[in-house]
Amino acid sequence: MVKFTALLTSLVLSSVVSAATHTYNWTTGYDDRDLDGSGEKTRIITCNGEFPWPNIEINKGDTVNIYLTNGFDDNKNTSMHFHGLFQHGSSQMDGPEMVTQCPIGPGQTFLYNFTVPDQVGSYWYHSHTGGQYMDGMRGLFIIHDEDYPYKQGEDYDEELSLSFTEYYHSTTYELMPKFLSLYNPTGAEPIPQNFLMNNTRNLTWEVQPDTTYLLRLINIGGFTSYWFFIEDHEFDVIEVDGIPVERNTTDMLYITVAQRYTVLLKTKKDTSKNFAIMQLVDTGMLDIQPDDLIVNATHTLSYNKDNEEVDEAFVDSLEDDAFLDDFYLTPINKTELYGEPDIEISVDVVMDNLKNGINYAFFNNLTYTAPKVPILVSVLGAGDDATNAAIYGSNTHSFVLDKDDIVQIVVNNQDTGKHPFHLHGHAFQVVDRDHYSGPEDSDEPKAYDEDDHAEFPQYPMMRDTVYVRENSNMVLRFKADNPGVWFFHCHIEWHLEQGLALVLIEDPKGIQEDPNQQLTESHKAVCADLNIATNANVANNTVFTDLSGENVQQPPVPSGFTAKGYVAFVFSCVAGVLGLITISIYGLIDISNVEEKVARDLDIDVHKLAEDESLSNEKRPSSEVGVVDDNSSSSRK
Amino acid sequence: MANATKKVFNVAVFFVVFRECLEAVIVISVLLSFLKQAIGDNDPALYKKLRKQVWIGAFAGVFICLVIGGGFIGAYYGLENDIFGNSEDIWEGVFCMIATVMISFMGIAMLRINKMQAKWRVKIAKSLVEVPERKRDRFKLGYLAKKYSMFLLPFVTTLREGLEAVVFVAGAGVTTQGSKASSYPLPVVIGLLAGCLVGVLLYYGVSYSSLQVFLVISTCILYLIAAGLFSRGVWYFETNTFNKATGGDASESGDGNGSYDISKAVYHVNCCNPELDNGWDVFNSLLGWQNTGYIGSVLAYNLYWLVLIIVILLMLFEEKTGHLPFCKNLGLRHLNPLYWIKNKKKNELTDAEREELFRKAQDIRFNQDGEISQVQETVPASK
Repeated sequence: MVKFTALLTSLVLSSVVSAATHTYNWTTGYDDRDLDGSGEKTRIITCNGEFPWPNIEINKGDTVNIYLTNGFDDNKNTSMHFHGLFQHGSSQMDGPEMVTQCPIGPGQTFLYNFTVPDQVGSYWYHSHTGGQYMDGMRGLFIIHDEDYPYKQGEDYDEELSLSFTEYYHSTTYELMPKFLSLYNPTGAEPIPQNFLMNNTRNLTWEVQPDTTYLLRLINIGGFTSYWFFIEDHEFDVIEVDGIPVERNTTDMLYITVAQRYTVLLKTKKDTSKNFAIMQLVDTGMLDIQPDDLIVNATHTLSYNKDNEEVDEAFVDSLEDDAFLDDFYLTPINKTELYGEPDIEISVDVVMDNLKNGINYAFFNNLTYTAPKVPILVSVLGAGDDATNAAIYGSNTHSFVLDKDDIVQIVVNNQDTGKHPFHLHGHAFQVVDRDHYSGPEDSDEPKAYDEDDHAEFPQYPMMRDTVYVRENSNMVLRFKADNPGVWFFHCHIEWHLEQGLALVLIEDPKGIQEDPNQQLTESHKAVCADLNIATNANVANNTVFTDLSGENVQQPPVPSGFTAKGYVAFVFSCVAGVLGLITISIYGLIDISNVEEKVARDLDIDVHKLAEDESLSNEKRPSSEVGVVDDNSSSSRK
Repeated sequence: MANATKKVFNVAVFFVVFRECLEAVIVISVLLSFLKQAIGDNDPALYKKLRKQVWIGAFAGVFICLVIGGGFIGAYYGLENDIFGNSEDIWEGVFCMIATVMISFMGIAMLRINKMQAKWRVKIAKSLVEVPERKRDRFKLGYLAKKYSMFLLPFVTTLREGLEAVVFVAGAGVTTQGSKASSYPLPVVIGLLAGCLVGVLLYYGVSYSSLQVFLVISTCILYLIAAGLFSRGVWYFETNTFNKATGGDASESGDGNGSYDISKAVYHVNCCNPELDNGWDVFNSLLGWQNTGYIGSVLAYNLYWLVLIIVILLMLFEEKTGHLPFCKNLGLRHLNPLYWIKNKKKNELTDAEREELFRKAQDIRFNQDGEISQVQETVPASK
């Protein structure tokens, strides 16, 4: 394996000028590993029996061929997405199942075949099926370029990647049914057991003094965001999500899942002390914080392994102004703010329950519900209907975009948590990102107001994953210059499974007309294997405007009283009234022989007494007035 | 406003106190009228002395159980947090059930105040008649009992009713969620006042029928509460099951979706939560209102009324005919297992014995020390 990597590296180096083709044969499988040293082994997804999955390092312009074989022995499907890659002209290689491709069934192989002509920097790849990537099916995807604005030898000396992830002692297949359950009505995300850096706890990174490192910080997790800082060190941010930016010096970053920051870190000359590398979990995302959960994961920046062990480091504040706000970064290529939008997609982010009691996530009133046929497959088969958004169903939340439209996405977050949104196929301009500014005790969300917002920057920051703040809003713009079917979704895997997604169908005619965008043989094969039609619409009907039988979300929770409720209420009222009438009748009728009945009820033991005394009392007439009297007159004597 | 109500006035507590107070007051008023009849005119000095005994006994009993009750409730609220901590809903449910049973059994008795008066006349007669006999067997105790019978009877009665009230109040009090120790004094005082008022009315011989209307109305309210409690008890069990399954999440989410088990809900409104919204807790404590109706709680409410109606109809039938329908020799008291365990069948009064008992009670005479003297056939009953 080492040899192979070395070979690969030399291959990479030798192919700087002429674009190379990198071929991988990957077969998925399972193994049990103990990544956090807890002594407990958890099932993870392996690549050719190995873990972790290999990192892909290629040069700009190279071609990648990945033969991904589903080797799962438990009848699970799979897929693979290359996060951040634009997939120009190869939308069908993008990966999300039931969006751009049929899932890869057990034993099937899908060829991911694409080139990366115009992107550089830090990316990653991961399964886009269920929560598989959180079970380990992910790796880094690094694209080098000799024209990269920051150069080895000049701006930095060495290069290194640090990946972040949360770690569960259960697979997502075990967690998902409990998460999407009647008994998890608040949609509380499962709490991880540990937080890892480069798939381990207490990582030690041995550095050389007085050396500048290009450090790729990549959150490959599916849930939690982290504040990242290195005790007593500053660093310069030079790239976000594969977009080189002007240097920006900071000492703390906030990294949501799927975000990447590339920074330059210059080490100290003094080697007498080691420093803590801190990975602070944003505990606001955790529904509960178990006592034994270590949320301030501490790692070591080691100048000398003989130095004293590092302790957890602390910061004064984790408020918004205490760490870098990526909104103010400027891309090096200075892409101007796109003009006025041709189409605006405005969505409210809401978490709510449907009639089955499960908590779903909604854009407006729709929770993304996967179609029966992948949307890209529908586009290709729909002919002239392809531009009609209605054929993509009522519940896939699909929008059709015309070529070269300027698209504005307004996200009004009505939820009380941050959400990192990711758009496939594009990097968007973040033109506005608001803070919640209402009273502290109110949760009234602040929606975007087009007449009252901060001035849009001239060169907005661009990236492919950006978070919107709680109870707040953000505005994103991009140019629809990349024909394809692109998923826009919250990258918190739990929320995606709750349906926090929509689909952008960009220039459907352009997709149909591009010979490179047609279904490949392996694509057709995996569809056929799972009996998914390749000439039908999302409802699996060959008449594309016929949506009968489409997958739809659960009905909403009925508001107020339903017929059932009225019946219950009427019955209860009638029962109550009848009961009260009965009580009243009983209470108002007279009792005859009341003394006799009372005496009998009391079961008085007077036999002996009566025997003893009866002889001497026989003569007394019982009609004499005494204690025993009629019902009402006893006290009136 | 409602929370304030909950803080200072607990409806269930009021009714329990009222009911128990009523019983004690009836005893006292019956005793007092008895004394007045028996010796009031003959010997005013003795009458005053005995009357004083009655009052001292009554107040001594009340005082002791106030002390015990205060301590009990104080201790209960002191311990509450420890006991109920995590499983509040299941305890709420259990106490609702206990309170339902309590109220159900005592409510009917309250309806029949004529029966209650009669019952106490019989009891008093019995206790008075028994004293002389005991004297022969156990001299000392009998002597004391005889000498202070006019003290002991009200003392024991108020003490017992009072302790009953304390136990019931504690039980009924906890069924109101979030009830505070501060919610006790007012209903207790008002319950006592209302009970005493009825006692005074009885003593001064207000028309029985107007009293009866009052009692019927209050009993109706009592049973509305009991039915609500029963329904709430079941509701708490269902909520507890749901909260267990959700890990306690549901209570956090207020009224909205996910705050209840939709798979078992018959209705739900996103408002009017008795635990959160002002005003609705009054409906909760009076009628058992919840903003989520579960199948179980709705069924429980209806079944409670059904059972109550059946029982009352049976009682009516038995009062009319002397036995339960279809079973000539079976009365409701025969259904009580204790009836057979204690083999009370033997002790049932024959008509002759009953007459005998009452006749003897009429003949009770007191000597100048206020002691009950031997029943004398020669002294005529005072009139």
